[in-house]
Amino acid sequence: MGVIMFACLYVPDFPVQAAVLAEPEQSWESLRNSPMVVLDGPANLPRVAALNDPARKLGIEPGMTKLQVETCGGVLLRKRSIEEENSAHARLLECANDFSPKVEPESPGTVLLDLAGTGKLFGSIENTAKKIHARAEERGFRLRVAVASNPETALYAARGFSGITMIPRGQEARRLGPLAVDLLPITPEMLETLESWGIRSFQALAALPEIPLTERLGQAGLHLQRLARGQIHRTLAPAEAPPNFRESYEFDDPVETLESLAFVLNRLLQQLCAQLVAHALATNELRLRLDLEVRRQDEGEGEQYQHEWKLPVPTQDRRVLLTLLRLDLERSTFAAPIKKVSIEAVSVKPRMAQGHLFAPPSPEAERLEITLARIRGVVGNADEQGISCVGSPRIVDSYMPDAFTVEAFSSVSVCESAGANFSAEMPVIALRIFRPALETTVELTGEAPHFVRLWKKYRRVLAASGPWCSSGNWWNAAAWAREEWDVALKTATGMGFYRIYRDRLREQWFMEGVFD
Amino acid sequence: MSSAVLLRSTIEARFPAAFAVRASRELICIPTGITAMDGLTGGIPLHCLTEICGSQVASSGKTSVLLALLAQVTQQGKFCALVDAQDSFDPGTAAAAGVSLPHLLWVRCGKTRQKLRPLEQAFKVADMLLQSSGFGVIAVDLSGMAEKLVRKIPLSTWFRFSRVVEQQPAALVFLEQEPHATSCAGLVLRVMSEPATLSGKLLTKFHLRVEVMRTRERKPVQSANFAAKAQWA
Repeated sequence: MGVIMFACLYVPDFPVQAAVLAEPEQSWESLRNSPMVVLDGPANLPRVAALNDPARKLGIEPGMTKLQVETCGGVLLRKRSIEEENSAHARLLECANDFSPKVEPESPGTVLLDLAGTGKLFGSIENTAKKIHARAEERGFRLRVAVASNPETALYAARGFSGITMIPRGQEARRLGPLAVDLLPITPEMLETLESWGIRSFQALAALPEIPLTERLGQAGLHLQRLARGQIHRTLAPAEAPPNFRESYEFDDPVETLESLAFVLNRLLQQLCAQLVAHALATNELRLRLDLEVRRQDEGEGEQYQHEWKLPVPTQDRRVLLTLLRLDLERSTFAAPIKKVSIEAVSVKPRMAQGHLFAPPSPEAERLEITLARIRGVVGNADEQGISCVGSPRIVDSYMPDAFTVEAFSSVSVCESAGANFSAEMPVIALRIFRPALETTVELTGEAPHFVRLWKKYRRVLAASGPWCSSGNWWNAAAWAREEWDVALKTATGMGFYRIYRDRLREQWFMEGVFD
Repeated sequence: MSSAVLLRSTIEARFPAAFAVRASRELICIPTGITAMDGLTGGIPLHCLTEICGSQVASSGKTSVLLALLAQVTQQGKFCALVDAQDSFDPGTAAAAGVSLPHLLWVRCGKTRQKLRPLEQAFKVADMLLQSSGFGVIAVDLSGMAEKLVRKIPLSTWFRFSRVVEQQPAALVFLEQEPHATSCAGLVLRVMSEPATLSGKLLTKFHLRVEVMRTRERKPVQSANFAAKAQWA
């Protein structure tokens, strides 16, 4: 049976680090070396919620107002963003998940993991701790790692000591001894009491006799002492894998240009795709939400732009996703600048299919999707009836003539080989449709058309077959009724066969198409 | 060194392929399924620009020929694209002609308010589709467009299309009233109708004639007759 050890990953000044990680990767190092504070609170009086070491050196403290911070000069100010912190915390969890299946998110920026049984994969506990530290640094975190025989000891060691801390079994009380008691989950009243007794460190608290301590501070006091001695053992409550992949970014100043937006989209997609890759997943559906600056008078919420993209094949390719987003946004106009952008990727299993060796060549799915998006940019998305302008035609099950719809075209989902009954003995005469149908004038002899006006000229009807009557939807407002005729007209270049019809509801003649 | 040689070497330094001799490709054709026409031309050539012409006012049968070609290709599981400048494609007759609709990408131009006119849209889309390989046939239907507009398309555009499709395992087919691509086209067909067969007053059959106006092999004008049946015949 292997040694049971626990590790704790603690990110100091977590809100500041989350704000840094929300910036482009190239600027991380310079931001870390610059004094930075994260402000929180009401918009008219924000106060310092978190700060980094360079800011501390300037004398800035938590709780200072924005005005006080600005007097120090050269301090980077960031507004606190829960989305950024959630995103950073998710990245930290992913990092921990790389090393152990049992990971507990203790608090934002703090993660506990069970290292039992990982020795064969990562070597000794010391090596594992070093690897965890290196992996987290790769992901942009500057963190502390502590390893101990129980989760609580690892937690306080990580909070109290910088770098990597290893606490062997049996040495918990001695190693935790120098830490200040205010690291413990202690109430202000109890802290004041301990202060009045002269108890300021874990070591001093651990040395107190148990029974008198319990008499004075109750079970809570005894619990604190056991924490200080490193004697609390518990099992971890592992976190479940995140059900969805979501990234968001709130602009300090709302943006108006696509370039500025695309810059942020690129980074968000990069993070999303990295998460998908880390989970061995891909996405076939992307949801974008843009919060606009304008607020409606009648509603409390600002205007939003939402769009969904469904891809025929799952992908992890950031460039494909970014191109699709860009092409769509290029066609969109917004009434106001964008203040926040959120992207959610619906995760699915990646496509693990090998192309058939003898199958005919087909368009590459990802490339085709980009081409289709570009084509939509040229011809538009849909016509006035809402039928798509780009896609694969489908015949609607209806008696109504020219009833069709256009569905998304995919080179992947089509697997059936079309009509085995097809025989090309003789080609079929095609009908070219006029959309919308051309209004025309018809002179009748009896019931049959005798002259038809075509391209501003009256043409003699050489032959006519009809009428073919049909009607439908009589039970609702979309009712239609028509009387069709197929007519042969004499034209300058030969004979033209046309389909005309009389709209029986409007008593109007139309030319539907030409046989060609 | 003579000035001509100097000029040549300067150009070749910048554009290595400028004076390269291109080996002509072996002619591969896609059969249309119309026996008489395939016997005449072998079908529609791959890596080439083909023009199928016919009257717009009179029923010429050019669209029926295109549907026959699309049916042949899509039935083999290959994908085709139809760029419809006038939005005149009828899925019903296409399905009756044997076109596998899931294998067909239909681009309807001019249906929304866009910066470009339908003709410009059609050419731009055709260009995009050519760049995205994988389609067996890319058909551009310009037959509903006014002849005076199509005539204004510069020869350089046709030339560029013919050079691009040379590199693609696809056939680029234009459906027009009159041929415009001149020497850029590998095959030019003119389709016209003979008197139709009427069953009583019902149209049941077209008698069509196809003339080969231009091929790569510079043969004299040849023609063949064939028939097309109505959907209900």
